[in-house]
Amino acid sequence: MIRRSRPVATHNTVRRPELMVWRRGLVSRRRFLIEAAGGSVGLLFGLNPAAARSSFDPWPTLDAVLVQLLPSEPDSPGAAEIHALDYLRFVVNDTKVDREQRDFILQGNQWLDDLAKERHAQPFIALGSDTRDRLLRQITRTAAGENWLSTLLSYLFEALLTAPAYGGNTDRIGWRWLEYVPGFPLPGPGTRYPELPL
Amino acid sequence: MSRDFDICVIGSGAGGGPVAYSLAKAGYSVLVLEKGPWLKEQHFTKDELACCRRSVYTPELRDEQHVIEEAGEAGAWAATATAESGWNFWNGNCVGGSSNFMSGYFHRLKPVDFKLRSTFGPIAGANITDWPIGYGDLEPYYDRVERLVGVSGRAAKHANAEPRSSSDLPYPPTVEHPISSRIDQAAAALGFHPLQVPRAILSQPAMGRRSCEYSGFCGSFGCSSGAKGSARAALLDHAVATGRCEIRPHAKVFRISSDAGGRISSVDYHARDGSVQRVDARIYVVACQAIETSRLLLASVGARFANGLANNHAQLGRNLLFSAGGAGSGDMDFSDHDDAGIAALRQVGPFVNRALDDWYTFDEPQLGHVKGGIIEFLWDHPNAVVRAENAKWRDGELVWGKPLKRQLETWFRTDRTLNFEVFNDWLPNDNCFVALDKQVRDRWGNPVAKVRIGAHPHDQRVGRVLAEKGEQLLKQLGARRISSSVGPAPPPNLQAGGCRFGTAAENSVLDRDCRAHEVENLFVSDGSFMPTGGSVPYTFTIYANSFRVADRIIAQLGGPRAAPS
Repeated sequence: MIRRSRPVATHNTVRRPELMVWRRGLVSRRRFLIEAAGGSVGLLFGLNPAAARSSFDPWPTLDAVLVQLLPSEPDSPGAAEIHALDYLRFVVNDTKVDREQRDFILQGNQWLDDLAKERHAQPFIALGSDTRDRLLRQITRTAAGENWLSTLLSYLFEALLTAPAYGGNTDRIGWRWLEYVPGFPLPGPGTRYPELPL
Repeated sequence: MSRDFDICVIGSGAGGGPVAYSLAKAGYSVLVLEKGPWLKEQHFTKDELACCRRSVYTPELRDEQHVIEEAGEAGAWAATATAESGWNFWNGNCVGGSSNFMSGYFHRLKPVDFKLRSTFGPIAGANITDWPIGYGDLEPYYDRVERLVGVSGRAAKHANAEPRSSSDLPYPPTVEHPISSRIDQAAAALGFHPLQVPRAILSQPAMGRRSCEYSGFCGSFGCSSGAKGSARAALLDHAVATGRCEIRPHAKVFRISSDAGGRISSVDYHARDGSVQRVDARIYVVACQAIETSRLLLASVGARFANGLANNHAQLGRNLLFSAGGAGSGDMDFSDHDDAGIAALRQVGPFVNRALDDWYTFDEPQLGHVKGGIIEFLWDHPNAVVRAENAKWRDGELVWGKPLKRQLETWFRTDRTLNFEVFNDWLPNDNCFVALDKQVRDRWGNPVAKVRIGAHPHDQRVGRVLAEKGEQLLKQLGARRISSSVGPAPPPNLQAGGCRFGTAAENSVLDRDCRAHEVENLFVSDGSFMPTGGSVPYTFTIYANSFRVADRIIAQLGGPRAAPS
């Protein structure tokens, strides 16, 4: 029997922490997430709220952030090799993921880009790697910013370590890197969860 | 009066499966109503997203949830809807229920579990009572489950072994991991007596099912070989094959109607197309897992039952049980082993199959002579993403980039984590119960279950004693970074109680046959009947008792109609 323990964030689990501490933490994380998705919180990433730019394309910024979070190296894969961006496209179109969370994944890019322009007068994707890193560290000082990066890391881990049929972990590159032995049978066409007769 | 079916079973898991199987085999017509889909072997894969990171085998919490009441500050109870918290109390809503996703640790209860009150006396603040039946009443049904569901193992002589009517288990043990013999040696050095855990997993093909294929992914996953003894693979497929059992998936029962005489007249369910359908039967069996069984009965008011079906003595939903205890872990560091040792540790597939029950009862200066529990050993769950999640924080700060990658390499490549789980009794108490929530409703507009999850402090004291023994064994094994945690939070997948059985309607919902005291054609056959839970996972006992209930139902209907097939 696997004793299921309680989650600490939407997709996290921990082993039985103190009860109320956990509850408060969870509810506040959740509240930040929803408020952030609704755009009702100013100073989200430590920035004055800018008018929404409906023309903003979040994907190039997201791509740059993912590369920053999981860089490629000669002996180990990064966001590019695991096709993390393709995996994130699957996630933001997946109705099994909360609408608020999917919106949050995309909206965070615009807030980050606004911050880049305010601090450096350039879009995020035009900054050098060190500057990008400092900006990301800066947004972890706000709850929404930390939550956004934590959320992206969780989906990066999914892209790295779930079945290749979902678009990440190309040729099992994530499993091979971490010497991980997956189970069998693995999901494939017809048995991926959106295709099950639920 | 003509009825649609002889028996209507609500819920298709470990509680419903044996009734459907037994009644169909005995020649009666059976309808099984299951709220979830009917997934089969070919649909189950080792998919971490489907099993554990998306709501695939359970409902979306925004559609169907629970409200959980926890002890807050200053004696208040704080209620949180699970769609807010993400704390999921569903365990498998599909044909076969959560038995599809169990690990299949099949320990019997021991004779002492049937008489806690008379053996150990009362504990203040706990509603402990003896069962109205004894171990001897259930033993033949444990034996039946071992044969029909298929339990693998070996009945070795053991100090705390339960009496058995058959000399051995029907199937040999599943293949075991090299760590198992190391656990045996470590236990022997400490004077502990490890036992080989019986598993509801076929170690050889039988009964139309394949043998275990040893993927190493069992608990939380549906079984693709049919080896795991889920109610679906082991019982319902055979029940359907008789031609007398119909399973209706996507049928969410929301009301059981009763007549002026207090008998059930029909049940209503929401069908997949949104319509409401009604069926009737001679006998109704509720088995929706403890929380949902109490919820359905509480919601089913009638002319004679203003407070819920079979609830004129205000017992329904009370004395809900989980499993107390906790978990511990230690890392088997590769740097402590040579190449052969590392290769052995890395093996994936075979089972650990070891537990300790030396402290099933024990004496301790602070606690006196008390009921204890068991300690189960198992490898850390193989899911990869959840393991990686641990690597993204360091000293409370998010880690990314190359430091994250080095941390992942350490987490995945330098050791293997051996866990233990402590199971001890969750004492029934007045702060652990099911009610209907006054605000939150499910997607069909019905009130959801509100669950107060108060734990008795005695449970943690017992759990702590056991966890220390688990830590001792890990230390003897040479594990590093050993820790354990025992707390009041319930594991949502280990539920029982809420409709306890007993001899008097004043303090129990069901009689000794699990028929409602107040409703002649209502039986409850899931774990709800248990007045105390014992200290092993519930599924084996739920199966055994459900076979016992099935025999009582057959007797009430006048005996078998068909020769057993």
